[in-house]
Amino acid sequence: MTWFMGIDIGSAYSKGVITRDVELNASHITKSGADYRKAAEAIRTELIRKSNLTIDDVASTVATGSGADNVYFAGRKASDIVCTARGINNIFPQARTVIDMASQSTRVIRLNEEGIVTNFTASEKCAAGSGRFIEVIANVLRTDLPDFSRLAAGSRSPVTFSTGCAVFGESEAITRISEGVSKEDIAAGVNRALAGNIASLVRKLKLEEPCAVCGGGALNTALVKNLEAELSTGLLIPPQPQMITALGAAIIAATSVASQSRGKHNC
Amino acid sequence: MYFAGIDIGSTMTKVVLTDQAGKLLSFIKGPTGAEHRQLANEVMRQALGQASLKIDDISYIVATGYGRLNVPFADRQITELSCHARGVSSLFPNARTVIDIGGQDAKCMRIENGRLVSFVMNNKCAAGTGRFLEVTAATLAIRLENMGYISLKATRKVSISNMCTIFAQQEVVALLSRGEKLENILAGLHEALASRVATLARRLGVEPDLVLTGGVAKNIGMVKAMGEILGCEILVPEEPLLTGALGAAILARETHMKAAAVGEGLSTKSRRLEKATFFSQEQ
Repeated sequence: MTWFMGIDIGSAYSKGVITRDVELNASHITKSGADYRKAAEAIRTELIRKSNLTIDDVASTVATGSGADNVYFAGRKASDIVCTARGINNIFPQARTVIDMASQSTRVIRLNEEGIVTNFTASEKCAAGSGRFIEVIANVLRTDLPDFSRLAAGSRSPVTFSTGCAVFGESEAITRISEGVSKEDIAAGVNRALAGNIASLVRKLKLEEPCAVCGGGALNTALVKNLEAELSTGLLIPPQPQMITALGAAIIAATSVASQSRGKHNC
Repeated sequence: MYFAGIDIGSTMTKVVLTDQAGKLLSFIKGPTGAEHRQLANEVMRQALGQASLKIDDISYIVATGYGRLNVPFADRQITELSCHARGVSSLFPNARTVIDIGGQDAKCMRIENGRLVSFVMNNKCAAGTGRFLEVTAATLAIRLENMGYISLKATRKVSISNMCTIFAQQEVVALLSRGEKLENILAGLHEALASRVATLARRLGVEPDLVLTGGVAKNIGMVKAMGEILGCEILVPEEPLLTGALGAAILARETHMKAAAVGEGLSTKSRRLEKATFFSQEQ
């Protein structure tokens, strides 16, 4: 039995998991803040404490995410696309498409039964295609992200946003508030607009079912429902959807150690 | 005989009054705002006061801009593209290309013999409009009108890798925390906007003389950046916000003169300066 660590440093949040071989043992999430090295250290300390281990018990650590370079104690780095695919494959081996809805970008990944990436695309250029759109409007509505989904679920007639731009969408939300439109209808409108943008990204790559979602956006159940309607398919939602990429990183740590030791025996 | 052009833009309302010979008598610029879209009469009253005229003195009124339907006393509505083209060619007879960058959109127009022949516009993405500078100025806590001047002090341009305004906003914060100089960041931001607008303009083909209008034309850093990217001289009117209203006033005069020349009567609207309601709008 061996312990492995996966650390995913994102632009908004940093996530980490410890696995026992490829089984999830403990996880931790914290804001990335301005110092990514500090965030990485804090996650390691917390994971070790939660698992009742010492640093030396961890056989290998893999870092991923846009801030992976800051995880100075990691043995190696892996691409976040590969990690997300491996993570989702561990929980839903049947999934052939995964939609990772993060703050900075939305990524759509196609994968085979072994969790190997066959194709992917990302919405990196425009905030209106990522969770950032919701953060911008949540700020206008003065609501937290956890409340956002609940607000949207209470909507009776979602507003239609006339723009595909998060900046113009922000002005539009302010105008709608001044016209007396309810917070619920605005929140639901943003969810719907974002779901539409994500669905067109998915269609670019062609959807192969079953399809799973992960990333912080998967916690927004109203958004996931909109996306299911847009794509006319049910979506698999893993427990702790924000941890999938970190989980994939730990699994990569575990499997590469396993293949190395196999290599030694063969010699 | 007097003529008026009124241009209701998304952020500013502009009025231009001319005399029989087409000479500019007075102009007014004021913020549009949500309720002001209904209050075109207020801006008109101010412009008339400045020229010591009464509304009954105005022979013909043309409204333009995105709120042009909210002007109950206007005799005719003409699109802002035609009005801009007309206004610019009255100031720059050799103008072939007009780039108008406003707070909410960017338009590129080609002119031949003073008439609009083709155009392209961006109103879909804030990153290609003046909004890009407004948002980043707010992030950097500097005044929009100082942005261009500060950018001129740059010793090098920091390249801004994010295209989206919102992502650029966070990139700017990261650059500042890395100790990058404000003026160098600003030069990078101006270059980023200029290159996006240039991409739009190139779809149409850019031919000199090139005139830059709209609020962004007041930004000296943008004039410099546009000139560098397009590789030609950028002409800027003294009042770059007014070309639409000026074109509307010129077209008002032309419409009136043409009708008078053939002895035709022109129908005009009631000269009562009342506020627009949803019922007084033209069907």
